[in-house]
Amino acid sequence: MRAKPLAAARFAVLAALAALMLTPLVWALLASFRPPDVPFALGSVFFASRFSLANYAKALALAPFAHYFLNTVLQVTTIICAQLFTASLAAYAFARWRFPVDRLLFTVILLQMMIPTAALLVQNFSTIRFLGLYDTIPGIALPFFGSAFATFLLRQSFLGLPRDLADAAAIDGCRWDQELWHLYLPNAKPALAAIVLSSLSFHWNDFLWPLVVTQSDAARPLTAGLVRFTQMGEIGAQWGLLSAATMIVTVPLFIVFLVFQRQFVEGYLASGLK
Amino acid sequence: MKRPRILPYVLVAPTLLFVLVFTVLPLGEALVGSLFKLKLNVPKYQHPVFVGLGNFVDLFKDTEFLQVLVNTGLYVLALVPLLLAAALVLAFLVERKLTALSFFRLALFHPTVLPMVSAATIWMFFLTPGYGLWNQGLHLLGYAGPQNWTGNPSLALPALVLVAFWKNVGFMMLFFLAGLQGMDRSVIEAARLDGAGGLRLVTRVILPLIRRQSVFVSTVAFVGAFQTVDHVFVLTQGGPSGTSTLPLYYLWSVRFERLDIGRGDALTVIIIAVLMAFTVANFLVNERHES
Amino acid sequence: MKKLALLSSLIVLCLGFAVAAPQTEISLAYPVAVDAPITAMLKGWAQDYMAANPNVKVTLVFSGGYPDVKTAVQTAIQGGAKAPTLAVMLATDVYDLVNAKYVDSLDDLVAQTPDGAAFVKDFLPAYMGNSYYKDKLWSLPFQRSAVVLYYNADLFAASKLRPPRSWDEMAKDAQALTVDGGKTRWGIEIPTENPYWTFQPLAIGAGKNVYTDDITVDFNAREVIDAVQFYIDLSQKYKATPAGVQSSWGTSTQNFAAGKTAMIIHTTGSLAGILKSAKFKVGVMAVPGRKAGTLASVTGGGNLYLTAGHTADERKAAFDFARFLLDPSRVADFSRATGYIPNRFAAQKTAIYKDWLASVPQAADAVAALAAAQPELATQNLNAVKTVFNKYLQSAFNASMSATEAMNAAQKESDQALADYK
Repeated sequence: MRAKPLAAARFAVLAALAALMLTPLVWALLASFRPPDVPFALGSVFFASRFSLANYAKALALAPFAHYFLNTVLQVTTIICAQLFTASLAAYAFARWRFPVDRLLFTVILLQMMIPTAALLVQNFSTIRFLGLYDTIPGIALPFFGSAFATFLLRQSFLGLPRDLADAAAIDGCRWDQELWHLYLPNAKPALAAIVLSSLSFHWNDFLWPLVVTQSDAARPLTAGLVRFTQMGEIGAQWGLLSAATMIVTVPLFIVFLVFQRQFVEGYLASGLK
Repeated sequence: MKRPRILPYVLVAPTLLFVLVFTVLPLGEALVGSLFKLKLNVPKYQHPVFVGLGNFVDLFKDTEFLQVLVNTGLYVLALVPLLLAAALVLAFLVERKLTALSFFRLALFHPTVLPMVSAATIWMFFLTPGYGLWNQGLHLLGYAGPQNWTGNPSLALPALVLVAFWKNVGFMMLFFLAGLQGMDRSVIEAARLDGAGGLRLVTRVILPLIRRQSVFVSTVAFVGAFQTVDHVFVLTQGGPSGTSTLPLYYLWSVRFERLDIGRGDALTVIIIAVLMAFTVANFLVNERHES
Repeated sequence: MKKLALLSSLIVLCLGFAVAAPQTEISLAYPVAVDAPITAMLKGWAQDYMAANPNVKVTLVFSGGYPDVKTAVQTAIQGGAKAPTLAVMLATDVYDLVNAKYVDSLDDLVAQTPDGAAFVKDFLPAYMGNSYYKDKLWSLPFQRSAVVLYYNADLFAASKLRPPRSWDEMAKDAQALTVDGGKTRWGIEIPTENPYWTFQPLAIGAGKNVYTDDITVDFNAREVIDAVQFYIDLSQKYKATPAGVQSSWGTSTQNFAAGKTAMIIHTTGSLAGILKSAKFKVGVMAVPGRKAGTLASVTGGGNLYLTAGHTADERKAAFDFARFLLDPSRVADFSRATGYIPNRFAAQKTAIYKDWLASVPQAADAVAALAAAQPELATQNLNAVKTVFNKYLQSAFNASMSATEAMNAAQKESDQALADYK
């Protein structure tokens, strides 16, 4: 069978490519454990013979990562909860009934999918300032409370509910909120998971908007906190320290991803529908 | 349940409200603001002065802005084919349902999960001249050219493309994979078994796959060029000589560093116009193919 | 019994409130990489001040660099929040900050302090150049520096070369000291990722500074073009410096200390760091001018500004804290720790400084370089002008444009950027 050597070749190529893809991250990981007094040099790839946590200690001392982490968690949780709430209600209305100007309203909402919020950061900055929410976590989260993506996805899901289930509910005389909570939402688990993970990923990693709308450590998330380490000033590059800081910022979400791989992948695929 | 009179509107209201306040209203603000000159650090223009299309005219006469347009074009033209080709090849390679392969899939996909800021800082280290592994690797392959990727005007933009490629190829691979797995297995098997190999495989499997996913890939790359500038902040700050300034970074700099509000609004309008034009064009092309 | 207990606890509570007097909160934004040794010093001073003034709370905010502090101040005020009360920003940013009304004048606070006028007079005139605008005082020198040439004195002696006294000598020395095409050692390294500042001494050394006043730049003056050409020659003709733009502000000092380059053009603010890591005798001098025997340098560094939007109490506390930081002993201490030139005459008379001068002769050389220094580029719309100038300097250094083309383009675009102010 010609398959065997082909399979082996494929395996080898994949292994090489995977190794290449992993190199930047792995090297940064190694660098973060390098003792600070061992300078980087040509040919010296690994961290000499000693393994040191000094960079992590320093990074943690220089920036309030625990606080940034908390801010990120608060910000992301607020956004996701708000999105699920507003989108569930809207999707239910759009899926359940036809009502005057419903197509128009839906199109207006879908506009948000065409225009990335990042492009509107200047104007949204003014709005947040006007609302007095500059440098607060609600200020970061508020623009995302309404989600066209979540509404769209949930509406699709709700529309896909089997007819007989819907009819049974109608006969039973359910109120709208009972229907939503007991019937539609439980059957939309894949869509909900996709929304949660997609939002989690996007907002956890969001950089420019939080940077613009906050200034103090009190409200800044992990991404904005990390960028301080890249501003070298007169000291020059402190790669070990920078790598340690990067690992601190990156690892939490990465672990979540490893645990929920399949759901993440499905979430990403769903977001591709945009 | 009979259709209630006002309930649907009440339920839709929250989402609608937020979209109106944070998408539609800003759009209007940008449109109106772009017609005025407002510069916070110029005494003459500290109160808005109506200039009609003056801001737009100034933008298109400004070599810095024209450079941004060129940068964007180059960035997209480089990134899209690279992503398409690589994702396609990778999808084919990881297509089998073997557990061993799932580790490779993970390895290829992992950059997508990282924040772009982290990816950029990792690459900042990776691209260091001299002992940076990127340059060491290139040196091994016989490369003798300049090593300062982020400081060299001809290499800065490629460096950004490189980071964006690394970050996104796994993501694109996933879509090609889904497309492959969604295809009728028998078609793929038949194409393989035919042994004439190349042509059947290409026409029956690869081309249709490419056509569907390329729309998606180019959209993501294009929108990404306008939306993701974390790597510009970290790696090049738009330089050297403005050769790696992407539109959103330019917008940020104009508004928050140079305090030119009017120009910022005009830029926003242009960015949104381009994105919407692209989305509409994409949509139309897609519709035509489906029918 | 119960009533007595309640009454006594109420009294204790009231006493507690009386003792805990309301605190005035002020903050200082300081531009430094997150890991700099200077942060420990500043934190110590903040603690000392708070110990002496229990009704004031001082917070230190560290941002990466001068542009970061400025952007943070701007964005905070625009966002409707309070900017840090005091901010160390470039002395040359004064026009933009005042025009946008982001900083408050210090005149009234100076008038309120008993010896305010004498205090202001004590600062070196060279460093007060950018503190006045529209006849008002806006900032006080905090960490001021000058651009100097650091050279490896041991290496020069070993190679029987004397410190360069002209462009010609500098180029030839650098050429002689370049080993193995730069792979082992370069003759000279000049950081050019933000080139305008380290470039200015070359223009001044050719005979003309790059600007005349706040609305006039002279980028395409003959002398400036010659200076650009000289830099290009250093790499193309003399092969003594890496070609093209080098992002090496941080690494050039490391390279110098490690012996990988024989000379660098850098700030006096790096002096202490270099002396600590270099294992050879370090020479410091102003940058040689084109003509033999001439020297050139340019001032630089940050001033202390009072940002707008604070209460009278906060402003008073901030000014008091500023005076505390600028006390002669602390200024001398700061200079000793960093290499920044003391910005007050009184500081130069302290024992701390005199001792340091005695043990570190290079410090005196740094101060001497100041004599040859002309002002740093300072115009209206400074961000835009600097961006243009940097862009075209880099284009010339990278050989994508000739020196003349680049400087003509720079002049044209800068004139456009300044048109609104004329």
